[in-house]
Amino acid sequence: MQGLIDVFANLLGTGPTLSMVLAYFVCIHSLIGFITIYAMFAIWMERKVAAHIQVRLGPMETGGWHGWAQSPADALKLLFKEDLIPAGANKFLFWIAPALVFCGVFTGFIVVPFAEGIQIVDLELGVFFIVAIASVEVIGVIMAGWSSNSKYSLFGAVREAAQVVSYELPSATALLPPVLIVGSLTLGDFNTFQAEHGWLILHNPFMPIAALIFFISSLAGCKRAPFDLPEAESELVSGFHTEYSGMRFSFFGLEEFVSMFLVSAVTATLFFGGYTLPFDLLSIGAAPDVSLFDWLSGHAELGQVDILGSLTHLAGPAVFIVKVFVFIFIQMWLRWTLPRLRVDQVMVLGYKFLLPWALFTVVGTALFEGLGWGWCSHS
Amino acid sequence: MGSVRDYFASIGNGLGSAVKGMGVTLRHLTQEDTITLLYPHERREMPPTYRGLHILEQDKCIDCGLCAKACPVDCIEIEAEHHGRVLEWAKFTIDYKKCIFCELCIPPCPVKCIHMTSEYELATDSPDTMAEDLLTWTGLRREDQEKLEGKAKPKPAAPAASGGGGDLQSRVAAMLAKKKAEKGED
Repeated sequence: MQGLIDVFANLLGTGPTLSMVLAYFVCIHSLIGFITIYAMFAIWMERKVAAHIQVRLGPMETGGWHGWAQSPADALKLLFKEDLIPAGANKFLFWIAPALVFCGVFTGFIVVPFAEGIQIVDLELGVFFIVAIASVEVIGVIMAGWSSNSKYSLFGAVREAAQVVSYELPSATALLPPVLIVGSLTLGDFNTFQAEHGWLILHNPFMPIAALIFFISSLAGCKRAPFDLPEAESELVSGFHTEYSGMRFSFFGLEEFVSMFLVSAVTATLFFGGYTLPFDLLSIGAAPDVSLFDWLSGHAELGQVDILGSLTHLAGPAVFIVKVFVFIFIQMWLRWTLPRLRVDQVMVLGYKFLLPWALFTVVGTALFEGLGWGWCSHS
Repeated sequence: MGSVRDYFASIGNGLGSAVKGMGVTLRHLTQEDTITLLYPHERREMPPTYRGLHILEQDKCIDCGLCAKACPVDCIEIEAEHHGRVLEWAKFTIDYKKCIFCELCIPPCPVKCIHMTSEYELATDSPDTMAEDLLTWTGLRREDQEKLEGKAKPKPAAPAASGGGGDLQSRVAAMLAKKKAEKGED
């Protein structure tokens, strides 16, 4: 971030405030662009994965090659659809709910570390920030269901409210073991620690359990099957977004895929080494001593720029996104494998299974760390 | 429920069945052949006994009207003027709004000139065009006209006003040729 501010200050000769505004503007908008393109790809991928699991083909016509243009075409269609507000709906809440839902997950993205320094802000409370900001989405969902003036929407919202307690506890608790090991909540620290000591999932025998618990409860966090109770299309039409249409509806769809990316990014960063590879190859993702930004911001000559270092630095986001997509694929795979749980089964899973085991991993990790034991690659 | 053993067994069951299910879906995911037929590009091979749109071998037809009489829903309409054995055609339509594809019109034909094809695309733009004209020509053929010469006032031969569009007509013609070839083999 600071690098980008310096670049603007140097190239445009703007003052510190204007440079900062410009830098944030560029960052946020490139993030929005990335999210939009990612979501379109993910929707296409979801349809393809679903189709092939059911021995179908999925979209094949639009755009030629395997229907790649299906999602942009759908997005265009949704833009032109009429924006309906049901009679008797609370107009203000109905209007603001999709924005709140989307902003909740979108804000989480500002701390996602794509590579060392390729991150909008590295908050000191990064992990806590993501967990907290992702919960804002729940308020939007309940708002949407409540304001729709429809019994199906309200059922969906109430289910979300009931579900949120049972998955937020284990998901936040399962994030504690990695935090205990690294001793920091800053997401950047997780990457530097894992670049040095190896992936946290292999750090002690409790970490795979913690990773599994976080993965399962993050599925519920994204409202994805088998925890898609608030949507439950076979029971509640479409749950909390039954009454939505057009662009407002697409925000809920976008939110689902964006939060899939967010929780997968957290899983990848906290348990699977972030942008680092399991073997030390050219220290991928690590920032070079003298980067292109340093030249652009006038801190260094062009000749001093570490070209190879810059290239391996830019390979970091690629590695990170590949890891994230592995988790997104597993989420899709699970969605088309497992049937939806009942409300009480979600509660039982959350309170009787996930939460005790998450606490068990916290205690176990604390013991391991306290006694100075390591499982593998611990120095 | 309740005992400690049940608790741990249910964890094993849950994880085990999820993994097993994911194995099944992975097998389907990686399987090469799908059940999808890319319909407008690919067509399913219909069985030889399939009862689709009709075709008429007009040069064989003697305008006896037995097919129309056999039809339980009265969907066949035939009109032709007889000049001795020469026919001056006016109409041979099947109204597919009424037709029930029962095939009862086929066996009564004394000259075996009406057949059912495996053509199943019946959709048209409007109900007015659902009555399919089976004639390949109306009026008199040139050779018939020459045969009659002055006996009757001959009308000039005109191409049939087709009901369903040239595409269907050409497909039906191809199907007729195929059916003839099959009969030749028999």
